[in-house]
Amino acid sequence: MRSPRLGWALLTSPLVLFLLLFLGFPTVVDGVYSLSQVTFETLRTPRLSGFANYAAVLADPGFWSAVWFSLRFGVLTAVAECLVGLALAVFLSPLIDKRQLLMAPLMLPMMVAPAMVGLMYRLVLNEFAGPVPYYLEMWFGNSPAFLGADTAFWTLCVVEALQWTPFAFLLFYAAFRVIPEEVREAAAIDGAARWQTLMRVELPLMAPTIGVALFIRFIDGFRVFDNVYTLTGSGPGGSTTSLSIYIYEAFFNEAAIGKAIAASIVLFAASFLVLVGIGRLASPRTAA
Amino acid sequence: MMRTLRWIVYIVAVLALNFPVIVTLVTSFKSAGEISVNPGLWVAAPTLENYRGVLTVSSRLDIYGYLGNSLAVSLIGSLLAIVLTFPAAYAIARGKFGRRVLLPAVVNLRAVPLIIFAIPIYMMFQVLGLLDTRLGLGLILTIVNLPLALIILVNAIAELPMELDEAARIDGANTLQLLIRIVQPVIRPALATCAIFGFITAWNEFLFGLMLTANHAVPMTVGASFFFSASGGGVRWGPASAVMIVGALPPMVLGLAMYRQISGSLMAGAVKG
Repeated sequence: MRSPRLGWALLTSPLVLFLLLFLGFPTVVDGVYSLSQVTFETLRTPRLSGFANYAAVLADPGFWSAVWFSLRFGVLTAVAECLVGLALAVFLSPLIDKRQLLMAPLMLPMMVAPAMVGLMYRLVLNEFAGPVPYYLEMWFGNSPAFLGADTAFWTLCVVEALQWTPFAFLLFYAAFRVIPEEVREAAAIDGAARWQTLMRVELPLMAPTIGVALFIRFIDGFRVFDNVYTLTGSGPGGSTTSLSIYIYEAFFNEAAIGKAIAASIVLFAASFLVLVGIGRLASPRTAA
Repeated sequence: MMRTLRWIVYIVAVLALNFPVIVTLVTSFKSAGEISVNPGLWVAAPTLENYRGVLTVSSRLDIYGYLGNSLAVSLIGSLLAIVLTFPAAYAIARGKFGRRVLLPAVVNLRAVPLIIFAIPIYMMFQVLGLLDTRLGLGLILTIVNLPLALIILVNAIAELPMELDEAARIDGANTLQLLIRIVQPVIRPALATCAIFGFITAWNEFLFGLMLTANHAVPMTVGASFFFSASGGGVRWGPASAVMIVGALPPMVLGLAMYRQISGSLMAGAVKG
């Protein structure tokens, strides 16, 4: 312990060892297997095959439609969650400021497992037992097929957005509250209407938080698995195959280990590039 | 006027956001006969039959087994994450050690789709005999919990006055004693937040539960879907609803009880992450 750096290193060693074992080693395995011809029978003796797996993945239309699904899903849900969350935060702030307890029911959806929420919507949207088709039939005479090939994507977007709007709301509410009162007063003295104060003063001050919320929600939407898997599987007809589900199915259903791993690496590289890009953009303070 | 409008928006938002839970709760109190004629949002003749059925042990669907597995893996996942990140957080906050690589690497894990590690972990667990064990799943859930635990603890330790450490050093405490006897009591609220948040996250995890378990370590999120593949015919919605409520209840109760701490840590995580 005489050398201080050694002392600090010792303190971080349990975490570092754990990461090397459970993430570092799998990454190496990923790298080797993605370049190999490998089946469940030849797991310990993979044969190097160059970039064949990558070529197979990049030539697979299924891969690109999964990328497209995940991108659209991530962008649409992140934007929807942030818009609604922002509106709720600004509009409900006077109500919640006085009664913090009102926050709890709004946060509740985040406490439920997304996989469980997917199962719950199977009930909610079921044509015989679900209340949504029941009331739509009663009031309008018919009810759309929520999980049909054309509609399943939008249904999933709504399911995801309803569960995670509270996250955006929470962040925006916190950011809205820390805007100093003097700033608003100054804007009012300058003759700004309430609407102008919001658009010109408050929203710009909240911009960093909005960026963070959009980013986090995009990432979570992009890698979606749980609720899609339990609500639609990947169907109908593969129309709801997200990238995570693509990898899962390639591995478990097709036993295409090399292909599944090559797709993982492509995904890893993509998220790494995005993270580095964001890191460059973010200020040094928030990057710490 | 404006006040009334705000209340209306609030109530509509709460109902819309919690809609699936409300529907499931209502359905769980309906008899099979009632579900087939009344899919609406009220219960004509409430019954506890579904809960009684679900909570009775059957050979095929063992709800206590799933609950026990979820409890065990969530405890491992939340507590081990704290044990690993606590000393590292101290080194990062006090020693400025690991700020360049370790901290960003762990924090960015939050943004990495963890499925990319799932396949090699599956194969590694097969070799180590950790597939379908509580320990195996708990170890992986630890990874899921590391980013937020590290952020929360680094922030908590960075706020402590330096004099605290110096006084302890003068008294001759070594680093381990310092961490356990001096730092741990003062950051207990942050540790509690990590534990609870980690527990909820681990309880709600699905992907690794699905991939890494088969019979013995199946957690509640995965076990719940077994009740949907009922033998013959369609899904029996009454029991299925009761299962979902039972499985979703522990994190919901914890979350409601600790909503202040959880909202605080989510916000901190977002700002620093």
